[in-house]
Amino acid sequence: MNAIYDLIVVGAGPAGLAAAGSAAQAGLKVLLLDEFMKLGGRLLGQLHQEPGGAWWNGIREAELLVLGAQEAGADIATGVSVTGLERTDNNGWTLWTTQGCYRTPFVLLATGAAESANPLPGWTLPGVMSIGAAQVMTNVQRVRVGNRGVVIGMSVLAMAIMSELRLAGIELAAIVLPPGNALSGKDSNPEAVLDSLLRFANLAPNAMLKYGAKFLQNSMLRNLALNLYPKQGIRMLDVPLQLRRCAIEIVGRDAVEGVLVADITPRGEPIAGSERVVEADFVCIAGGLYPLVELAAVAGCPFRYVPELGGHVPVHGENMQTLLPGLYVAGNITGVESAKVAIAQGRVAGLSIAFSAAAEKAPGEAEIKDAMEQVKLTRHEALIQFHPDIARSRAKLYQIEIV
Amino acid sequence: MKETSIIVCRCEEVTLEQIREAIRQHGCSARETKLRTRAGMGICGGRTCRPLLERLMVPLEGDHASELPLKIQPPVRPVSFAQWGRSL
Repeated sequence: MNAIYDLIVVGAGPAGLAAAGSAAQAGLKVLLLDEFMKLGGRLLGQLHQEPGGAWWNGIREAELLVLGAQEAGADIATGVSVTGLERTDNNGWTLWTTQGCYRTPFVLLATGAAESANPLPGWTLPGVMSIGAAQVMTNVQRVRVGNRGVVIGMSVLAMAIMSELRLAGIELAAIVLPPGNALSGKDSNPEAVLDSLLRFANLAPNAMLKYGAKFLQNSMLRNLALNLYPKQGIRMLDVPLQLRRCAIEIVGRDAVEGVLVADITPRGEPIAGSERVVEADFVCIAGGLYPLVELAAVAGCPFRYVPELGGHVPVHGENMQTLLPGLYVAGNITGVESAKVAIAQGRVAGLSIAFSAAAEKAPGEAEIKDAMEQVKLTRHEALIQFHPDIARSRAKLYQIEIV
Repeated sequence: MKETSIIVCRCEEVTLEQIREAIRQHGCSARETKLRTRAGMGICGGRTCRPLLERLMVPLEGDHASELPLKIQPPVRPVSFAQWGRSL
C-alpha cells in the first residue's frame, strides 16, 4: 500500500496533464496514471488547421504538457488502469489499480469521454470500428485502417477525423446517416443533422455550407435545401457528404465487404427500391461522445443529467471540486468540450487542490479565480463547440449546486 | 428496420428486439431489463452497450432523474484474479 502522494490524477489527457503540472508546481507530490501506453489522451489523435491557418498538432501539445508536468516534479506511470476508488474512513481515498493499491488525500478524475455507437445489422463484423478508433490507429499507431471506407454518422468531430484520414491518404467512399431506429434518434434525421452541421458552417471548407449557412438559418429555405440536396452528396474535403442517404446494413461474409445504403426522404424515411451496395473494406461508426464517469460513480458522486454536456456528469463546482471531500474532476468527464477547455479546467483543478491542501506554494484565491476566468474565455473562443448551450448549462450547473 | 438483426450487447449477443420486447412486456426498469436479457452483463462490463441501453430505458422521473440508470460497480476495468488479488 503506497501512501506517499498528496494527489493522484487519473488520466493523462489534456486535463490530467495540466492539473498534474500546476499541482506539482505548487509543491504537491503528484502521481499521474494513464491506462494507455502513451501520454496525451485524445490529444494524440488531433491534427487540424485553425481558422488563422495555424495547425493544432495534438501530439506536440501533449509533449509540451508532459514536459511541464515532469519539470514540476510529477511522477507519471502509463499502462496502469484504475479499477476502483473508495473513500476510506480517515479523510482519504483508496485507489485500486492494475499495479497495486494507493492511499491519497486528493484524487482528480480526468478520465475524459468515451464513444457511443449507433448499431446496425452487421456492425459486429471485423472491419467495423468507431471513428475514434480509426483516428487512433491512423495518428497514434500509424496503421492503415483499410483501403476504402464508409463513415456512418455525421458530426463535427467525425468531419475533423475524416479530414485526418484524408491527410493519411485513406479513401472514404461515402459518409451516410445511420438507419432510423430506436437507438439512432435524431442522428438519422437529415434536418436535425443539417441543423447541427450548420453551427459549424464557418469551419466548412465547402462553399455551399460556408456561405449558404446564413440563408439556411431560415427553416423554409432549409427544407428547400434538404429537398434539393443532391443524392450523390456534397463533396466536403473530397468526401461525398450524403445527407439524403442512410446505411441499412453492413454486409460481408467474414469481414466488411460493403454497406447497403438507401436514399431517404428529408424526414429520414428510406425510399423503397433505392437500395444499393457501396463497396468498402472498413466502416467507421460516428456515434458521438459521452463523459466517462465510472470512477466517479463507484466513488459515490451525485450526478446530474445534462444533455448539452453529453449525458450524466458528476456534480461539481466551478473550482472542479465534487460534492465529496478531496475528489475533483476536470476535462471531458465534466462535459464534452474541446481539448483547450480541458487544459484550462485542469489548471483550475490543480490550483484548487493545491489551495485546499495548503501546499507549500499554494496559489491565492485570486489566482484560482483567474484560472476559472480562463476556462470561460477558452470556451468562448473554442473552435469546436460540441453543443451551442454549453456555456449556459455550465452556469446553471455551477450556480445551482455550489454557491 | 429489422430489430432482430441488430445486436446491442455484443458480449452477450442481445438484440434490439429482445431488449425492446422485455421493456414492452414487463415495463421494466434499467436494472430489471439488464437482468432479464443479460444485456450489459458480458465480459466488457457494459462498456460498449451501456449508453445504448440507457437510450432505450424508460426515463426516470422526479428525484431520480439525475441518477445513473445502470449501477456501475468495481472493478471498472476487466482485471485478472491475480491482479485483483495483488491489489488488496
